[in-house]
Amino acid sequence: MRINFWYISSFLISFFVIIPILTVFSSFFENTSNYYQVLKDTFLLEYVLNSLILLLSVLILTFLIGTGSAYLVSFFEFPFSNFFKWALILSFAVPPYIYAYSLTAFFENYGTAYTILKNLFGEANYNQSIPKFDGLFGVILSISFSLYAYVYILARASFLYQPQNLIDLGKNLGFTKLKTLYSIILPAARPAIVAGLSLVAMETLAEFGAVDFFSINTLTTGIYNSWIAFDDLAFANQLSFFLLLFIFALFILENLSRKKARYHMDSRGGFKQKRKIKLSGGKSFMAFMFCFLIFFLSFLFPLSQMMYWTIKFPENLFDLQIMTLLTNTLYLVVLSSLVLIIFALISNYGNRVTKNKTLNILSTLSISGYAIPGVILAVAFITFIAWFDESVIKTYGFLSIKKVFIGSILGLVIVYFIRFYSLAFNGIKSGYEKINISVDESSYLLGYSKRKTFMNIHIPFLRNSLLFVFILISLEIIRELPITLILRPFNFETFATTAYISASEDLLEAAAVPSLFLILIATSFIIVTSKYILRDKNE
Amino acid sequence: MSKNFFEIKNVDFNVGGKTKVKNVSFSIKNEGDVICLLGPSGIGKTTILRTIAGLEKVKKGSIKLNGKTLSSEKINIEPENRNVSLAFQDNSLFPHYTVEKNILLGSERNKERHKKKLTLKEIVDLLDIFHILNKYPHEISAGEAQRASLARSLITQPDLLLLDEPLSNVDQSFKEEIQVRLKKILNQLKITTIIVTHDSYEAFYLGSKCGIILNQKLKQFDDPYKVYHFPNSIEVVNFLNRGILIPAKVTGKNTLENWDLGTIEGNFIKEYPKGSNVQLLLQPEDLEHDDKSNLKLEVVDRKFRGTNFIYTLKTPSNTLIPVFVHSHHIHQHEVDEKFGIKRPIHIDHIVCF
Repeated sequence: MRINFWYISSFLISFFVIIPILTVFSSFFENTSNYYQVLKDTFLLEYVLNSLILLLSVLILTFLIGTGSAYLVSFFEFPFSNFFKWALILSFAVPPYIYAYSLTAFFENYGTAYTILKNLFGEANYNQSIPKFDGLFGVILSISFSLYAYVYILARASFLYQPQNLIDLGKNLGFTKLKTLYSIILPAARPAIVAGLSLVAMETLAEFGAVDFFSINTLTTGIYNSWIAFDDLAFANQLSFFLLLFIFALFILENLSRKKARYHMDSRGGFKQKRKIKLSGGKSFMAFMFCFLIFFLSFLFPLSQMMYWTIKFPENLFDLQIMTLLTNTLYLVVLSSLVLIIFALISNYGNRVTKNKTLNILSTLSISGYAIPGVILAVAFITFIAWFDESVIKTYGFLSIKKVFIGSILGLVIVYFIRFYSLAFNGIKSGYEKINISVDESSYLLGYSKRKTFMNIHIPFLRNSLLFVFILISLEIIRELPITLILRPFNFETFATTAYISASEDLLEAAAVPSLFLILIATSFIIVTSKYILRDKNE
Repeated sequence: MSKNFFEIKNVDFNVGGKTKVKNVSFSIKNEGDVICLLGPSGIGKTTILRTIAGLEKVKKGSIKLNGKTLSSEKINIEPENRNVSLAFQDNSLFPHYTVEKNILLGSERNKERHKKKLTLKEIVDLLDIFHILNKYPHEISAGEAQRASLARSLITQPDLLLLDEPLSNVDQSFKEEIQVRLKKILNQLKITTIIVTHDSYEAFYLGSKCGIILNQKLKQFDDPYKVYHFPNSIEVVNFLNRGILIPAKVTGKNTLENWDLGTIEGNFIKEYPKGSNVQLLLQPEDLEHDDKSNLKLEVVDRKFRGTNFIYTLKTPSNTLIPVFVHSHHIHQHEVDEKFGIKRPIHIDHIVCF
């Protein structure tokens, strides 16, 4: 094998992303403070149980909502079905913690629900009869309504590419619609649904904002607390290690299920446009109501709640330096996305041209960064920099590098890079999988070097994939909370951190304005690129 | 000693660590010659082309073009620096560019090299692809894509052109016309070409030499006429499927005797001692029909092939023999009827094993 620029750069990029994972693993052998014993005797079981209950409930709910709505819009025609097709992905714009603020704001004592009832029926003690959606149930709802779109998008894509022949075959065998659904459609879409659920699982275990807001103790908040309250980095890392093992198990499950999956039909022939069944009467109304309810609960409800508060408390709008927050948010988005895309492109191409097994294993490991919750990554990053600073930099008498990496934009971009590298890498990889290797070979045979093939053939081909990846990363960074919270420079705020800080100070009304802006920016990103997210080219 | 334009010497052709074809040697004497490699599917024909193009490495032997070593154990010139063009069987057009842009990408290669530059118009006319120039690869048929891919390879005017089953997806009705045009342009531009195909008629028409690859070896490399009439092994006979082997005994300098057909005379291409038992190659055109002959064989099958019929006849010892008869022949024989064979049987070149 020849060591060339592509090999070395791909190797270095993948290795760099693996460092924090190694840090977490190596911490397993370190000593911890007494906090470990205290926690083991008190809350550890609660952390684990809460995490498990949360995970299972969210998985069931997202499966029902995501697959159900995808099934309806893919196979049936009913009023506004084409609108719901893309409207249902707007829930991506509402992160779980903002959903949690909305739930609380609406249902709390003297909250929005109370105001509505008072305006409708006059003054009375409604507080007792208004249900309270907080605690673990509140977290489950917040995460489910925010994340079901992962399942929806992947299930719908899979339904879209299911051959019409399969469904016709079901009819030919005399299957009812229900039987066709569970014996043909769902099994065929299983890999896609499992893939969507795995993403939901990872995000749920990593969720920080909503669980912290409802004061639910999970493994993730445990990690944060052991670091913040007890200054016990080693134990934080050990907890992370257990969470990582759990996540790796899910990750392997997801990989195994994807292995046999075929997600696309051949482009020439084979694809037959699906005939949607036109619903009428009660069935049509039920389908409409189901989709509308999900759209309302997942998007309109938090959006209108935040709008209501912004209008009700306009002073918060003027207190906030909107332009600064917008600039900061977009600055992070553009900078991080560009860095991620450039390096993920180089690494992908390096893997493609070198066909080296070591590099392949390293890349597979490196994309597990997404499975590591942001809190863990941020903590691991600080641990690593602190260790490196103490053991290497200071030993050789150089100036401390802590300030360069911790509490700086550079540090923030690096950790975003590690966290979202898998999104960029996999997004570009799926684009690359559509380029037959003989295209590269044809290019070489036309006299193009590897660099020219990369620049003149691959990049133009991957244009749409790159745009899609850019949007995905942007959405993640706009919504991202724990990494930004822990590693941001002093006085550097984004919409997400401002919302979180106001909410954690019990100033929910003040959290409404940054939350509203966050939702609006994310929504505009989604609307502009919905056709790429939905992959409707063939429809 | 004359120098060959292209030469392969003792090369093992490998793919994915597996040797597909062993110890191959052949050469192309003059620039502009066209040769064809024939063999069944999966035998390693494509691997040979990929190796010549530089997409697979050589561990044993050497490949030389115009006196320069392209591949050997120690040397491996990168594909982009060889000026060897390969048109893949699955076309490999760049999916995000139109057919026109695809072809023009090829023309950028040899801007300075050739005095007579092949223009886009010439190549488009040659392959009749004007109507698809503005289309994307996914919008055209497999046959059109194959022609576009061929156009892109041709326009590079390489030192060596490699074509992998270039017309396998082209409609039968159009195939012969394209073959004629292709042969003409290759001759005009003097582009040295190696064509891989499993269609022996295509190979015999396009190639000045044909190589037969069977059982991991280059079994025969010769003029098409000689490959057909003087196959050098039973495997080649079986592969070409243009005749059968029947047992016979050499009875004289120019005669053999077969139990079913009697005396057969002709010119042996190789001498055999009188009395030797041999396997005689009998090709469909070797026997002539004669209703008056007393040598009658039973018809077991009759295939109409437009210009001729192919009768399959059964001998008393149950050997099945194919015989061509011009389709204008008035007396058509049905299955189970008797079919007369002209005697004495005369074969121009007697090939035995």
